[in-house]
Amino acid sequence: MPWVAALLLGMVSSATAQPNQRQIQLFANNCLQCHAAPHTGAPQLGNQEDWQDIIDQGEETILKHVVEGIRGMPPLGYCSACDEQDLRQLIYLVTGMPESTQPMGESL
Amino acid sequence: MKRRQFIQGSLAIGATATFGGITGCGAKSTEPQTPIPFKAGRPIPWVNWAGNQSCMPKWRHAPASEDELVEVLKSAKGNVRAVGAGHSFSAVVPTDDTLISTDLLSGLVSHNDHKLQATLKAGTRLNACGPILESIGQAFPNMPDMDYPSLGGALANSVHATGVDFKSMSGYIEGLKLATINGDLLECSKTKNPEIFQAAKTHIGSLGVVTEYTLQNQESFDITEVNSIEPLEYVFENMDALCKQNRHFECYLIPYSSECITVSTNFAKPRDKNVGEDDPQAVNTLRSVFEKTSWLPFVGEDLYGFALSKALAAEAATIRTGPSHKVFPHARIVRFREMEYTVPAELGVACGREIMETIKKKKLPLSFPIEFRYVKGDDIWLSMFEGQDGCSISIHQYGDLDYKKIFAEIEPIFWKYSGRPHWGKIHTMKAPQLANLYSRHWQDFHEVRKSLDSQGKFMNAHLKDIFGA
Repeated sequence: MPWVAALLLGMVSSATAQPNQRQIQLFANNCLQCHAAPHTGAPQLGNQEDWQDIIDQGEETILKHVVEGIRGMPPLGYCSACDEQDLRQLIYLVTGMPESTQPMGESL
Repeated sequence: MKRRQFIQGSLAIGATATFGGITGCGAKSTEPQTPIPFKAGRPIPWVNWAGNQSCMPKWRHAPASEDELVEVLKSAKGNVRAVGAGHSFSAVVPTDDTLISTDLLSGLVSHNDHKLQATLKAGTRLNACGPILESIGQAFPNMPDMDYPSLGGALANSVHATGVDFKSMSGYIEGLKLATINGDLLECSKTKNPEIFQAAKTHIGSLGVVTEYTLQNQESFDITEVNSIEPLEYVFENMDALCKQNRHFECYLIPYSSECITVSTNFAKPRDKNVGEDDPQAVNTLRSVFEKTSWLPFVGEDLYGFALSKALAAEAATIRTGPSHKVFPHARIVRFREMEYTVPAELGVACGREIMETIKKKKLPLSFPIEFRYVKGDDIWLSMFEGQDGCSISIHQYGDLDYKKIFAEIEPIFWKYSGRPHWGKIHTMKAPQLANLYSRHWQDFHEVRKSLDSQGKFMNAHLKDIFGA
């Protein structure tokens, strides 16, 4: 999917997310199944209106929802390979929210 | 208009009641779906798609190459399991020791234009396989109705679609590469390690970790899928003809309704056009209507069935057309739990009738449509279709409702018809019964398994149950 690579390059250069190669592959394998597929009803990549309410909940709440699953989104967002750092990077990529300055692992 | 909106309008029968005593449902769809609450900074649990299986592995790996995988396997501690998309409903994945994700082992390895074969890494998701194969002019001959699983997960469990002329996906494996617990990488085909090949085509992850598959495909093609509402009795009576008339045919039996949804899929014709919309939330509408009517004393289920049949009978067909890999699968965003058995094809209708009668007679709180499909037989040792054409019947329950009581009522019906459970879906069968169902090659399979994994490192609690190891 060449458009995916182009999209990612554009996102990575314009946003604060700093994913590594592994995380980009996890993003393509997992997140894009629904977040780049409008018929799923999931918030769509690059559509700011879809994400603002979610971003407003804050990174820690989003992370909890990703791990536990919510509505149509399955636990872990399908990503059995992801650790917490991976999931945080994928959240930045998918939502377009800026990378947190909070220490990783701060509990709710 | 989407089907969901139509049904809602047609069934606005003043049923604004609160939930009744039948389903006992009050869960909101926004509730987290995991059995293990998460707090940042603590280890991340593994949870399957359905939220009914979970574990806390001590060691997690996601190798990005065969070499990395081999090193992981050689030094793996305790019980070892591999996971793809985590779409299985049965406990094939959970381990508290070593969990290996195949997510990073994905993509096209090679292809043969002459033979129309392609070699794909086992971690490739089915929804990625379609575009990859299309780019080389190939397509899977058939595909399941959802495409989230990984290739490895699908093929380890004989995942299938529908079509009397089409085998399960495992039936199209021409070769595979297996990484064993000793760190060997075995090339397997009809001519290389043929016994291991025969066992590994459906192995439920018990032989090792398959890194890549070579599959027999065909030239890429377009299809048209027609969804219609038809009388259930007409469909049951004409099942053989409907299956033969269409490249793919399946139906959804709707509990308490005399109508069913038929799905007929054939090669696309030049003037085929999309009509209507696929609605991934349609099952939630059925549920809502069921819950608003079925609680009514004495008349609930009958009222639901009558109203639903009237509403569905007036529905127009919806049509989806396009490349096969885009039309075969559908979005699946409503969480559910699933039990599926495959009975001999000639017994399918009788089994389906008995299930529908039982639901009505026992007033089971079930509104989720029952999927009814046909698959061609094969010679794979542990395939549900080994030695016989099969009719696969799938019972679903919503993810936040109790499924155990309903499945317990229906499962014995499958046993009565010599049903074989889907390895990746919920069932309660144990090794002794399964050995009888797979009597021809049960021992053959386990001899191969023990030769590759003498210590049973790939055997988690569930596999010990079903294999008796």
